[in-house]
Amino acid sequence: MSLMFTITPSIKKAVVCINELPESKFPLVLSRIIQKLHLKDERPFTEDEEEKLQKTLELQEADLELVIHTCEFFLHQAAYHSAKPQVLRQQLQQLQLDDNKVDAIVNTWTGDARNVVEKLRSRTLSAKKLEDVNWRLNLQMGQRDKSKSRQPNAMLELGINNDNDEKDKEKIRLEFTHDQLYAFYNQLQTIQNQIDGLS
Amino acid sequence: MEKELFRKLLSGVMEVIDGKSKEGSNILSNLVNETHNEENLAIVFSGLYSLVKLARKHPHGTLKQQILKEDLQELKIPAAFIPDISAAVFSSSDIDPTENGPSLPRLSNLQWRLDVAISTSSLNRVLEPTINMEMCLSNGKIHNFEVPIAKFHELRYNVAALLKEMEDLETRNILKIQV
Repeated sequence: MSLMFTITPSIKKAVVCINELPESKFPLVLSRIIQKLHLKDERPFTEDEEEKLQKTLELQEADLELVIHTCEFFLHQAAYHSAKPQVLRQQLQQLQLDDNKVDAIVNTWTGDARNVVEKLRSRTLSAKKLEDVNWRLNLQMGQRDKSKSRQPNAMLELGINNDNDEKDKEKIRLEFTHDQLYAFYNQLQTIQNQIDGLS
Repeated sequence: MEKELFRKLLSGVMEVIDGKSKEGSNILSNLVNETHNEENLAIVFSGLYSLVKLARKHPHGTLKQQILKEDLQELKIPAAFIPDISAAVFSSSDIDPTENGPSLPRLSNLQWRLDVAISTSSLNRVLEPTINMEMCLSNGKIHNFEVPIAKFHELRYNVAALLKEMEDLETRNILKIQV
């Protein structure tokens, strides 16, 4: 595997800061960062929390920012390469991180790797996604120009989530006769066959 | 009234009922002659229209030809015209029941595409399939959205379940469904 990390001045600086962090607090910071790793637009800590962290970790604002960014970067890189623990450990050691800090990062990564990669895999660039499916089956008993009819009809409701606008949850509502529903099912079956053909 | 004129009128009525033609007045003005003015024709036309509409309202198969014949005789419809009316009623051109009456939009076209993501900015090997769907609805709206693979299974499962319920419903004898 290629080298994940190159030693840049800012990483050097970050490594110095991280090495000075209290051993007991560092895993907690990492665990928060990895939990939020898959979220695109969210920072791992709120402003309030960052202020408190500055005090408990005894860091300047800029240094704290650097530490958080660097840890994020480590974990992002580990995820990007789906790094094996030994490889991650070896590459972190090359940055001259203390062993206990390397342990903390590797442990955090191995503990949550599967989860994080799974979440990153399902991250897409499409704004609209199918979210839920509801249906209802009716039996039509009459109509203005048809008495005593017995016509089943199926209603399908598809909930579509829109990433761009949280409030704008769209619902597509459709109605099918038996034949129409059967045709729709056949199309889904064709897609399924394509998916089965992938592996 | 001559049989030929009557037949033309009746076929005009059927066109309107089946939704093939929306304007009865054109048909009428074409048929005006020395003995029948437009007003007269309009009366016959609307009478026939109501007659066929009412007869057709009965569910398929429950109206007997003999009964219709007797009813028409009772209304003093000339015997020569009865077979024609009866044929029109029972022709029951299988118009799609879904085209009449209120309804939610129908799915008129479904386009789809199956993608497998190879790499992204956050993972160099993803290999995750996703489906893009474009649904064209009968009300003219077009919806584009993505279906993650887990949601696709959910959709397929639900449609299959719904289809099965529908089949069960139709085979249940007590409901006597005519399809």
